[in-house]
Amino acid sequence: MEPATRKLLHSLTALADLGAEISSTHEFDEVMSASLHTMLGTLAMSRGAIARFSSRPLQLKVIAAKGNRILKGEKIVLGREEAEYLASCSRPVGLAEGNGLAGFTSRNGDLMKRLRAGSLAPAVARGELMGVILLSEKFNRESLTEQDLAIIAAIARHIGIAMYNHRLMVSLKRKAEENRRLYRGMRQMYQDTIRAFAAAIDLKDAYTSGHSDRVSRYSEAIAKEMGLTGTELEYIAVAGHLHDIGKIVVDRTIINNPRPLTEPEFLELNKHVTTGYEILSSIGHPWNEIAYMTKCHHERVDGRGYPQGLVGDQIPLGAKIVTLADSFDAMMTDRPYRSRLPLQQALGELQRNTGKQFAREVVLAFCRLLKKEISGEIRSRVLTMTVGRKFEREAVDSMLTSMLAAGDAGNQAMSC
Amino acid sequence: MRRIEIRSKLVENTAILYPGPYLNQLRGEAIENRCLELLSEGVRSVVINFEDTELINSIGVSILIGVIESIHESSGKLLLTNLSESNRELFDVLGLLSQVEIIESEEQALASFRGLTGAALC
Repeated sequence: MEPATRKLLHSLTALADLGAEISSTHEFDEVMSASLHTMLGTLAMSRGAIARFSSRPLQLKVIAAKGNRILKGEKIVLGREEAEYLASCSRPVGLAEGNGLAGFTSRNGDLMKRLRAGSLAPAVARGELMGVILLSEKFNRESLTEQDLAIIAAIARHIGIAMYNHRLMVSLKRKAEENRRLYRGMRQMYQDTIRAFAAAIDLKDAYTSGHSDRVSRYSEAIAKEMGLTGTELEYIAVAGHLHDIGKIVVDRTIINNPRPLTEPEFLELNKHVTTGYEILSSIGHPWNEIAYMTKCHHERVDGRGYPQGLVGDQIPLGAKIVTLADSFDAMMTDRPYRSRLPLQQALGELQRNTGKQFAREVVLAFCRLLKKEISGEIRSRVLTMTVGRKFEREAVDSMLTSMLAAGDAGNQAMSC
Repeated sequence: MRRIEIRSKLVENTAILYPGPYLNQLRGEAIENRCLELLSEGVRSVVINFEDTELINSIGVSILIGVIESIHESSGKLLLTNLSESNRELFDVLGLLSQVEIIESEEQALASFRGLTGAALC
């Protein structure tokens, strides 16, 4: 093979290797180090460095180096006019020539000496100076040929593009992190707003302080017990918080009425589910299901609920869960027309209304969770937070066992 | 980046290193590290045997130049042996043949070092 052809082949292989290195997933420092070695090996040079340009402060900083006593991180002083001159150069510049770098070598004499720097190749991308490649003389001390200069310019362009892309990636990563931080902040604000709404709803009713918050926590815990995860779980927790939002427009005297409601009062109160749906569906809520869960939280699986009289699986699962959580909290707290029920009695109500008001699978999940809390199998106390410790543990446990057994039998009968 | 070990041996205080089939960054760095180790241990005669080396890329060349410089700076001597025709051509176009001594075989390189030592003893 002719020497010229052999050299061209070596240079082309080097450019291919460089392309592969630049597009690799290696760390930027590694890519720069490999790029420098490729440049030096292509031209048989012993020393060199790649320095990144920064306009503020105006300087070059060594990010890859080969040769004795040259350290990464070393700073190189560069003037504004020199930077502009380099950005306009499409070819390597000899440091001994009378060009736009007259003061550069003398100002950075020590480093240039250690590098035995003979030339400097600007790494430019999109007309912008990204950095420079400082090169020693060739190992055999021969002068650079026209072909050598063309190869240096080609490799320097690759390195410039790699530096430009890296800067872009760093900037994108920074922006992505900033967006993540903003998103976390907005999410927190959103959750705080929902909690504030829930507190405002509950304030209308002297007896239901903290009701929406508890319904949210019960609903979330039951949903988790049923195997729901991620956003579904989150929807249900939010629906728990906002299920009574429609009560905002219901007259306070109706909500706090200690005597049985009249028919018109009852109808007025029942409107809160559709009002809540209208409120929530009219705002650009990210989770449309929540508005519908709110609308359905007084539906019954036997079809005798309101406002639509839906049956069984026509009711969204989230709404079925909120229905049970809502009723359980209502039974476990004092109301204007009655005192709170003992836990056993509340469980009895749930048992009696399984398959009527409440969905069987939700009652079973509730029982499993309550049993785990009472037995200490799990450390969290969600369902038992309002129950306290004053209940007949063995009797409740045995009741839960029989409800679970009946539920299992019911499930088997349904599957036959 | 993962590291690899390269084959090497010490014969009569001369280190012989084998870059393997492809002298690239990985193998080049292994050669360089081993060489620096040997120099720090006082070895001054080094042979790099290219008998299995089919290819040398630019990074390999750059690292090899660094090795040549390190040995020279330590007042040591380096001999390259068993270069294939294409690798010899590569060294030629890069102007390296004038910078490093190339010997046909490992045995001849060892004999050359023995001769040097003998001459030094005389």
